Amino acid sequence: MEERVSHTVLVCDDAIFMRTMISDILAQAGFEVVGEAETGREAVEKYRHLKPDLVTMDIVMPDMGGIEAVREICKDHPEARILMCSAMGQQALVVEAIQAGAKDFVVKPFQPSRVLEAVQRVLG
Amino acid sequence: MDLSRYAALFLTESREQLGACGRALLDWERTPASTEPVVSLFRAMHTFKGMAAAMGYSNLTELAHRTESILDLLRGDPASGRDLIDLLFRIVDALEQGAERAMAGGDAQLDFTKLLADLDEASAAAAPTGSRAMPIPEVAAPAFLPGREVRVTIRSGAAMKGARALVALRKAEALGSVSEIRPPGAFEQELFDGRFSFHFSGAADDLALRAAVEAAGEVATVEFGTGDAAAPGEAAERSRQIRVDLKRLDAIMNLVGELVVAKGRLTELADPADSPELKAVGSRISRIASDLYGEVVQARLTPVWQVFDRFPRVVRDLARQLGKRVRFEVEGEDTQLDRTILDEIGEPLIHLLRNAVDHGIEPAEQRLVHGKPEEGLIRITATSDRTTVLIRVIDDGVGIDRGRVLADARRAGLVPEQTTELNDDQLLKVLARPGFSTATQVTDVSGRGMGMDAVFSRLRALGGSVDLATTYGQGSTFTLRLPMTLAIVRALLARVGEERYAFPLAGIAETVEYHPNRVATLEGREAYALRETLVPTVRLRERFGVTGPRPPGRSPAVILDVGGRRAAIVVDALIGQQEIVVEPFEAPKGTLPLFSGATILGDGAPALIVDPAALV
Repeated sequence: MEERVSHTVLVCDDAIFMRTMISDILAQAGFEVVGEAETGREAVEKYRHLKPDLVTMDIVMPDMGGIEAVREICKDHPEARILMCSAMGQQALVVEAIQAGAKDFVVKPFQPSRVLEAVQRVLG
Repeated sequence: MDLSRYAALFLTESREQLGACGRALLDWERTPASTEPVVSLFRAMHTFKGMAAAMGYSNLTELAHRTESILDLLRGDPASGRDLIDLLFRIVDALEQGAERAMAGGDAQLDFTKLLADLDEASAAAAPTGSRAMPIPEVAAPAFLPGREVRVTIRSGAAMKGARALVALRKAEALGSVSEIRPPGAFEQELFDGRFSFHFSGAADDLALRAAVEAAGEVATVEFGTGDAAAPGEAAERSRQIRVDLKRLDAIMNLVGELVVAKGRLTELADPADSPELKAVGSRISRIASDLYGEVVQARLTPVWQVFDRFPRVVRDLARQLGKRVRFEVEGEDTQLDRTILDEIGEPLIHLLRNAVDHGIEPAEQRLVHGKPEEGLIRITATSDRTTVLIRVIDDGVGIDRGRVLADARRAGLVPEQTTELNDDQLLKVLARPGFSTATQVTDVSGRGMGMDAVFSRLRALGGSVDLATTYGQGSTFTLRLPMTLAIVRALLARVGEERYAFPLAGIAETVEYHPNRVATLEGREAYALRETLVPTVRLRERFGVTGPRPPGRSPAVILDVGGRRAAIVVDALIGQQEIVVEPFEAPKGTLPLFSGATILGDGAPALIVDPAALV
């Protein structure tokens, strides 16, 4: 018998490259990527359907940015566990995202170990 | 359980929590739709409730509990609660007063019926759409762990230390109430070095708190203390802190003062003595006394925010009462000042702030007509150099109508008939006259009986001075110049007749021999040609009504300089420089307003301390 059911993840990024990379890192660590979103709006909608255990959220996305998406999601689901994915130089935005309800963040370029540490912290 | 031993702690902590409530309310009022203030308010109220309950104060507990319940509902939709803000202010006030009365054994007599009824009514009206209260970790245990300073360092290699610091704060906030985050506003900065501190109160012990903060990741160190935060950068070698009763510090200061005086006497006695050993001991005691004095002075320095903290509320309440829109900004709240001076300037500053709201800031319509933003701006700033602290109260209001003040001043005979214009200094002197007021400008809005003249005399007694710069139509700036430390100053002693007088060195530009060839006239008064400029002369013998024989030869003069204004003060003789201990001084009624204090000299004789600002 498995010790626990694997956690579900929604990966949000407008770049397919980044989505793939994050999905791979998480899948290899035993997470189940249940959905991907290219825009903030899509992220909000998919969150409602999928209720994933974890969301990875890019900051800059078309249609609706990541911070606004965090705000939208947390408005209805303050318990949401959202991990921001940011690039260097975006500190002010990351701070804003955390104020909006994101639980943690990782900084690109991603090192798998760093990403997994952050994920554990968010889920822990 | 004997609760009395927690009483003092309860009072201190509840003041902190209710203070945090007040600040959160001000924030909320500024940004009615943001969640942050409501959440802080909720947490602080929750913590207060826990403490009141643990003390068995059931009336306080109930009011706090009912307030908390409403805040809980409002967290999901802060904007819907904006009409409650006034009521909440009243509740916080009531809890503050109630806490003190409860401590004195009066909880049972507290009657919050009216507030509770208002609360019921308001909450029925403001039922937010849908209940989306956020979960908050229950702080069930009475929060009797003392509030403490938590200092955190983020690992040096970590990316985005500011964002990481915020994650750590969030973890701490889940356990209790977090306030006084320092350095403020640093987390958005790319260059933030990862060291910060905050004040934590709640039921979590150090171990739990450390674990929570470390769970944020990338945390290098977590340290705990009470009292003031070590400045960032000093975290590694921070000193351990204890709380000391101010009275004890005052006593030490007085003893150090006496030691300095005795030291002065010892030096005088040792000087003519033909004993190198005595001189060596004398100079060693001298050094120790100065060091000791320096340490005590440091220990007494207090950041001005401890007094400034209540100003936003004062400005807000008065602005609302008068139906004005006023933005209030505080700068330099970490500037340090002697505790006693700080305590003394609170009331004068409130007077200036209230004047600014009442008489400075115009009604919105009038502002718009003159092309100003509808919202008035009042700022209070504090800056310091080595020995002086400058506090400015700045408003962008209507300024002072010189014409009007001049007319009134002429009528009252305060200025010569032929005066056609008042400069800033003259204006200030007129405003500072006891009882002087014009209908539109300077009145006692506070009703506390402190007029402008009281503001000035209070400051003079502290060895400070006031400057005014005002432009009609554009606003006024009052600048308070204060000594950073009170008790001991270096002064020049001078003799006039039989008496000795002390001139604080901070107000002296130089001393000269008063040469008769250089005496001139300036606006009908005697003046002295000091190099290229004419400086008004004040002859202290005449001013003090000294009649005895004048010493032969030329008299020396002390050139005073206060913020660029100068005067040549002619005295009988200069005695020398000395450290003097400033004693609190209430000038007897009817005496010349020329002195800022008194001191005891090394030989035990008293001397008056001349107030340079009163002579220039």
